[in-house]
Amino acid sequence: MKTPLFWSLAVALPVSVAAAGYGYVEKPEPPAAEKDDGCASVPVDPALVNTNQTTGATYAEDEYPYYANTPDDMIPFRGVEPYYRYWTKRLPFRGPGRDYPDPPNLKSLKVGLLSPAPYGPEGARGARTKKGVVLAFEEANAARRPGQLPFEIIARDDAPLWGSAANIAVDFADNEVLGFLGTIDGDATHVALRATLKLETYMINTSDPDPTLTETQIPWLTRVFPDDRQQCFRLANLIVKQRDCKRIAILRESSRPGRVGVMHFINYIRRLGFPPVQHLFFKPGDKDITMQIDAIKAAEPDAVLFYGQPDDCGRFVKQLREAGLKRAQFFGFDRLQEASFKENAGAYAEGMTICYFFNPGRPNQVWQDFIARFQNRWGEKPDIYAAYGYDGAKLMLEAIDHAGPNRFRVRDYLAGLNEYDGVTGHMIFDGRWDNIVPITTAHFKDGAWHYDPLPELRRKPVSQTAQATPK
Amino acid sequence: MKTSIQSPTVLLGGMLLAGAFAAPCLGAAEAPPATFRDVPFPVIERFENFGQEHGIPHYKVHAVLKTSDGQLWIGTYNGLCQRQPDGTFKRYGPEDGLSHKMAMCLAEDTATGDLWVGTMRGLNRVSGGKITSYTQTSSGLPNNVVYGVDVVGENVWAATAAGTGAMNLKTGEWQIYDHNNSIMHEPWCYSVTHSKDKIFIGVWGGGIVEHDPKRGSFKEYRDPDGDFHYDLVPDDGPINDITSWVNWEDGVLWQSTYFGMSRYDGTGWKTWVEEKSPLLSNFVNFVWPLHRVGWIGSDKGLSVTDGTIWVNYEVGEHDEGIRTIHRPGQPPEVTQMSTALANGFVLGIYVDDDEAWFGTSHGLSRGIFAPYKKPATVAATQP
Repeated sequence: MKTPLFWSLAVALPVSVAAAGYGYVEKPEPPAAEKDDGCASVPVDPALVNTNQTTGATYAEDEYPYYANTPDDMIPFRGVEPYYRYWTKRLPFRGPGRDYPDPPNLKSLKVGLLSPAPYGPEGARGARTKKGVVLAFEEANAARRPGQLPFEIIARDDAPLWGSAANIAVDFADNEVLGFLGTIDGDATHVALRATLKLETYMINTSDPDPTLTETQIPWLTRVFPDDRQQCFRLANLIVKQRDCKRIAILRESSRPGRVGVMHFINYIRRLGFPPVQHLFFKPGDKDITMQIDAIKAAEPDAVLFYGQPDDCGRFVKQLREAGLKRAQFFGFDRLQEASFKENAGAYAEGMTICYFFNPGRPNQVWQDFIARFQNRWGEKPDIYAAYGYDGAKLMLEAIDHAGPNRFRVRDYLAGLNEYDGVTGHMIFDGRWDNIVPITTAHFKDGAWHYDPLPELRRKPVSQTAQATPK
Repeated sequence: MKTSIQSPTVLLGGMLLAGAFAAPCLGAAEAPPATFRDVPFPVIERFENFGQEHGIPHYKVHAVLKTSDGQLWIGTYNGLCQRQPDGTFKRYGPEDGLSHKMAMCLAEDTATGDLWVGTMRGLNRVSGGKITSYTQTSSGLPNNVVYGVDVVGENVWAATAAGTGAMNLKTGEWQIYDHNNSIMHEPWCYSVTHSKDKIFIGVWGGGIVEHDPKRGSFKEYRDPDGDFHYDLVPDDGPINDITSWVNWEDGVLWQSTYFGMSRYDGTGWKTWVEEKSPLLSNFVNFVWPLHRVGWIGSDKGLSVTDGTIWVNYEVGEHDEGIRTIHRPGQPPEVTQMSTALANGFVLGIYVDDDEAWFGTSHGLSRGIFAPYKKPATVAATQP
């Protein structure tokens, strides 16, 4: 339910918001010099625009931006009204359970945490997520009043057993968790989500970027982590419309995350009139990609987009530059911000542009306080996975506190959220419960990442506490 | 594919039980009530509901199946149950050998009378009073979470969270089908069924996979729109790639999804979505076809259709039943019923010519048909 304040501001600002969005015709003014190398993405206010750019329709109170707030010129079949649109309204859960009695003899309020296998490609990120989650639980338990039950984490690691995440989701249900958190790997999250639907246990996903995850029409999932679709349309806008690139090559990991990660980028640049001149794969850990390099060089791209683990992409950036690909601009996704990218790319990381969530060095007080608390607890700075893990856990605990020990009421609380303020910033949830808040870009210059300012939200969060509005 | 009565012995048992449950079907000379005369399938006139007071161990009933010997089985959140002659239910749980308490799906091997039960942790065979379990670590089952099960000739098929597996009942050997060795776009399988010569697998994110075991070939049916945010045009293929259930009967393939319903008759597709058709809700959990009529269980009640006439059953605010008949070109005929489904969230369905059973999120329901003219069968038309 959007607040009256929200709508009064949204209605008052349609002209300025539309001008700032992606529906423009004119090329934007060059960015100011202080914005690093001048690549700031166009600001956009998702969910705060109450006009559908495609249809011109005004959203009703309970309607949500179409197509994850994708810019008008990147929407498929634009100009054609489809027979049926999904996710302009949220799917309700019509099942029973809200009035079921609380479980007897409760000693704690349990929440599951599904983490990646510790030795797999996502293991280190999962470990950092877990530190954020644990901190949230410790803080919440320290603040419990007498008579209140403590929160308890039921932690499980994904395993190499095929489809293990589904088995873990069942294990969570056997442990009578009130909800669960996780995970990073798209396959595992999908598998767990399917079980979640049958088990009727709410999942908050804190770090899976797979755009298809929330398109499954399962009203038992919120994702606090902006997904690859958000990165794709911002990268498409940046590469084609701001950098004026027309010959775009894609080099990505041969995996499901790689496939679905660039899927929408390919769609978007095609709709902008510039389909990829090459779309090539590599296997994780590949050392020799001579064939791909030769093919990319032959295509004479003016832009190359990388998707994969940062160490792989760093190595391939270096190899491509050393092979003589000098003029093409290089772009990538958020993971290239990790240290192993620049370690492998070396000096060739210079000039790289990626999408990123926000500036991790920003002076925002809430963020700085979180960094201090995290450092005090773990002796290290939090990264993006720890931060979204913390926010996801805080949100789940808030829902349980609000709803009591009842999975169905916990669901109602979480599925009713339109906005939320976490340490990672303001979140805006769309009709699929996806966080579609604007994200930013970062540029590697003089040996370090420089972040563009976040697009300014037209509506400022009322405070830095939760603004949950249950339906 | 649903099972049919095979042997005279079983037929006798089935007739006895059918007599005990006594649905008011008519002979050829009798006529159904005028209001239902143009409805070419049975209309439910009342519901009988069963819950924990009848021995059902949990609110939630996932699956229901009447086997060819007339026994009624239900899969619940807390065990497998068999209906007893006195109308109560006897539970079988992990302490009886069931691999997990949550029984999700049921199928009968009509050749042996064995019952196959898919659970959230393994597949089970109920045979001769004994339960035998098959799990991911003790057999070739692809994954422990079994959403769908079917018995086809010498094989039992299990649709799991990570691929579909087929166990040869003579050799015990397993064959696994997933995205590595089939056309399957994703390995996440929700249901499996069969026609005379084909296997159909309902895949989450992969539409429907058709497998010809004799040829070893695969074919897939996918939503041609290629995007989940919209349905570009109706009747162009499966309504969506996320299949929640698939069932085949009499040459017609039915697909339920959380985006609406689809039907394929071998020549063309028909799709239905809420608001643009009488379908109660896009969120469809299950479909049970009988005589080319789809019995559709959604989160908002039950829809029954032959593709032209629809009869919907909903639960009103005061737990009253609401039956709505939609006839082409006519205003809907709405009737308040004194009885209703146990709950509008329908998870499992079994229907035969005599009665209908529904597993819901809050209890089990039996649908009692208004008098109707039963479809002619080969046996009935023989001199």
